[in-house]
Amino acid sequence: MAAASASGGGRTLNSALFYVFLVVFVLVSVFPLVWIFKMSIVTKAELFESPPTILPNTPTGASYGTIFADPSFQKALINSTIIAGVTTVICLFFGAIAAYAIARLRFRFKSIVMTLILAISFFPAVAIIAPLFIQFRRIGIIDTYLAAIVPDVVFALPLTIWILVAFFKELPFDLEEAAKIDGATTIQAFRMVIVPLAAPGVFTTAILTFIFAWNEFLFANTFLFDDSTQPVTVVIPNFATVYTVDYGAQAAAAVVVTVPLVIMVLIFQRRIVSGLTAGAVKG
Amino acid sequence: MVERIEGPKESAVLSEALAFAGRGMNRRDFLKLAGAGAAGAALLGVAGCGGGGGGGGGGEFTFSFGPDPSGTLQELVDRFNTEYEGQYTASLREMPADTGQYFDQVRTEFQAGGGDIDLIGGDVIWPAQFAANGYILDLSDRFTEEDRQAFLPGPVESNTYEGKVFGVPWFTDAGLLYYRQDLLEENGFSKPPRTWDELKEMARTVQQSSGTQYGFVFQGADYEGGVVNGVEYIYSAGGEVLDSNSPDTVVVDSPEAIEGLTIQRSMVEDGIAPQSVATYKEQETQTAFLNGDAVFARNWPYLYALVADPEQSQITPEQVSVAPLPTANEGDQSASGLGGWNFMINAASDPETQEAAYEFIRFATSEEQQRFRALEGSFLPALQSLYEDQEILDAIPVIALAPEALRNSKPRPVSPFYSDMSLEMGEQFNASLNGEVSPEEAARTLQGSLEGIIQQGQAV
Amino acid sequence: MTTPVKQKKRSGLKEEFGNPERRTAYYMILPALFIILVVAFYPITYSLYLSFHQANINAVGNFVGLQNYILMFQNTEFLDGLRNTLIFTVISVFFEFIIGLAIALAINRAFRGRGLVRAAILVPWAFPTVISAVMWRLMFQDQVGIIQYAATSLGVISDPILSNQTLLLIGAILVDTWKTTPFMALLILAGLQTIPGEVYEAARVDGASVWQRFFRITLPLLKPAILVAVLFRTLDAYRIYDLFWAMSNRELESLSTFVYKGVRISQLNFAVGNAASVFIFITAFAIAIFFIKVLGMQTSTEE
Repeated sequence: MAAASASGGGRTLNSALFYVFLVVFVLVSVFPLVWIFKMSIVTKAELFESPPTILPNTPTGASYGTIFADPSFQKALINSTIIAGVTTVICLFFGAIAAYAIARLRFRFKSIVMTLILAISFFPAVAIIAPLFIQFRRIGIIDTYLAAIVPDVVFALPLTIWILVAFFKELPFDLEEAAKIDGATTIQAFRMVIVPLAAPGVFTTAILTFIFAWNEFLFANTFLFDDSTQPVTVVIPNFATVYTVDYGAQAAAAVVVTVPLVIMVLIFQRRIVSGLTAGAVKG
Repeated sequence: MVERIEGPKESAVLSEALAFAGRGMNRRDFLKLAGAGAAGAALLGVAGCGGGGGGGGGGEFTFSFGPDPSGTLQELVDRFNTEYEGQYTASLREMPADTGQYFDQVRTEFQAGGGDIDLIGGDVIWPAQFAANGYILDLSDRFTEEDRQAFLPGPVESNTYEGKVFGVPWFTDAGLLYYRQDLLEENGFSKPPRTWDELKEMARTVQQSSGTQYGFVFQGADYEGGVVNGVEYIYSAGGEVLDSNSPDTVVVDSPEAIEGLTIQRSMVEDGIAPQSVATYKEQETQTAFLNGDAVFARNWPYLYALVADPEQSQITPEQVSVAPLPTANEGDQSASGLGGWNFMINAASDPETQEAAYEFIRFATSEEQQRFRALEGSFLPALQSLYEDQEILDAIPVIALAPEALRNSKPRPVSPFYSDMSLEMGEQFNASLNGEVSPEEAARTLQGSLEGIIQQGQAV
Repeated sequence: MTTPVKQKKRSGLKEEFGNPERRTAYYMILPALFIILVVAFYPITYSLYLSFHQANINAVGNFVGLQNYILMFQNTEFLDGLRNTLIFTVISVFFEFIIGLAIALAINRAFRGRGLVRAAILVPWAFPTVISAVMWRLMFQDQVGIIQYAATSLGVISDPILSNQTLLLIGAILVDTWKTTPFMALLILAGLQTIPGEVYEAARVDGASVWQRFFRITLPLLKPAILVAVLFRTLDAYRIYDLFWAMSNRELESLSTFVYKGVRISQLNFAVGNAASVFIFITAFAIAIFFIKVLGMQTSTEE
């Protein structure tokens, strides 16, 4: 299934360069996380050493103690999972349906629809907060999960739909025809044939949406008020006072929040490999 | 071009697809729907019980403030609830640590029609802004002239707008000059500097002989703290930003104010402060001083307690002392920038709730509770009497060391358009400090933009 | 492109909505469209309305036509923001695309440890944005920052990064590239995965070289994925706010930080802030149209 690459001659050099490139890229990607991990295990005094130390001289678990002792942080982890999870599910569900219609069915106004869907991505989120606050307050969802989920869905749907449209379009039309001959309805054809074949796109979208909703700060910060609903993005900056910031605790929290996310993504990423496309119909 | 692969291969693929889908998709699909459904149901449940805490009649009210690691705030609220059990109940709502975000949040709530917060623990620069829009309650008849005498004058002034009082001081803060008395003594200086020139001379001497990296560090970044610092320099030279007798008159383009800004700039030009001081907030100032890399530092009282913490500091309390900020001219009265927090009541809450909220204010500003917060949390009291209390002087050395500074704190310009003014001041002070513009230009530009703000504000 | 439809166009809306298959299609797009329009419609139109009036945060005044827009274009902060945003957008997206493409191509091959590499490259994207900007700022800080320290020691720069507008912009571009290249890589990778191996086999059998295969087969087949990735990244970069605000402590201006200051902090610049929002909306719209029309991104599938 992998796209074949290097031809003969210079293959060794090619391989070497390839691995060097990979190693450099991985190091650059991961370095800040390593650095922040270091920040999370040193004392405050060492954190502010000038010039900075490279290896930790005074390792301590104090920062981790701080964050785990804080009940808000634990609740925040659960809240983040709920908000991001529900956002992803809703986006995938409605987005896939809409994308399918746009990509595979015939109707007018497609360009208009696609552009309307995209329109929200033209507008700076910061300008939308106050009016949304007033709207949400009127319908009473302020300080509930919905107040974060709804804006997250609205801002994630355009990407979801556009990605899925691109992927659904790749699949040949005969598949629906064949399915219909076998007696399937439009919806069944969609569910049972198109979606599995577009799995790489679907899982990529799921990952991107989940991470986007997980990291979303602006709406959560303005619409959610206490630790019963606040996600980690709002709770972490509050390891601070008016004048000082507890960088150690924030670093520890960042590590605790990122590592499981990466592991989870690692698990889902395997799904991007679609064994079907190895022999699939495509020209 | 899309090619079609014909014949048996096609239906083989289709069957394979359907088979795979039949096995996997249905389950996945079902799970997705089930998940969405369950989540939706859960949300509806949460939606029912979440949100809207404040003012439920029967003496309940919501009190907002930022995070308090000392734990004394929750204790204070608990004490109140115990004492007034059955009558009033205060519930604490934690707001963002960043004061700008906190302000944002509160103002958004006010704009949306009052909001849920009944009692606000607000920054000292908020009262005029909220009062001008009718968001907070006029407390002049509850917080009488007589009552006000018991409090420090600076904080009371910051709560006053158009002759009326809209808030009650809670705890205060003031800019102080921290200095390494050990380094000064080593170099033959027995007393802290009283003028900026003296400070520069002392800093230079110490830097040269003891090799300390920085002479003086302060907050020069473009943010609220930078505004406080800039304003302190202006006050120290006898200048003002807004005429204190007539707040609609801008007087920042004056020789005194320009002198103040010039002095600030000269700190960098003369090598006393590092160039990067224009990016420093309290955290960076603190770092430099606690690492022992600075002879002088301008910071808030909170820093003193940190000096004694070996986890954060490489110097000890014996090496450090505090003094009022220097002035430009010999013999002038020093003026430290006023910080601190006040109580304000939401004008949109119903009268019973407002009454309950004021009861809390009375409670929290009583001598007993002010003393408790001072001793346990190192929060500087707003009551004058406590500045002579020996127990407190022992517990908070900064008070003993620099009483003059704390009593002579001066607020930043009091104006309903303070947010806009702060943006302009922050920018110009920072530009002047950076050397991007000269102090004269900065003052002139600022004069123009502040006048423009006042004009604009009066027009709409 | 739409030859068969041309005939139907004449028959109008009744035909369109009468057809059951088309109706199903409309039902399918309705929920998504509905959510987006309902939530977005009021704020956007209200912003538009405010931009044509005198307004501050508490009250709306008289209609003033284009005056706010004129003020906006005369505002030096706005112009700074526009310049910074354009430079930032073009350079970041360019690098993110090139590097993202390279990574996707690299990971697409089977090699040992591929799963781990995939996880590793996703770290920047998974990293919480709120912390990211603050931590990077700490790394750039003159006293304790490792990057400032390294760069100064190596003699690359002599100024404190955080004091210098140019260095700040470069820093922001670096941080954003670090953070969002995984996004590009992931999308392009997914696109690569849908290209079946046989296509390459056939090409190789026909004697095509590596470059020929790349430019004649891979890139064209990747076009949809690439264009979605680049379009969305461009729109996001154009609206950048958190990174500039938190990392530079409001010293580096972007279009969105200008909007934020006007609409959320200032009381008086409210109307001009809204004008800037509308400006961002219109120009972003133009950018999207550019992508769609000029770069040939298809929005409908009448093949």
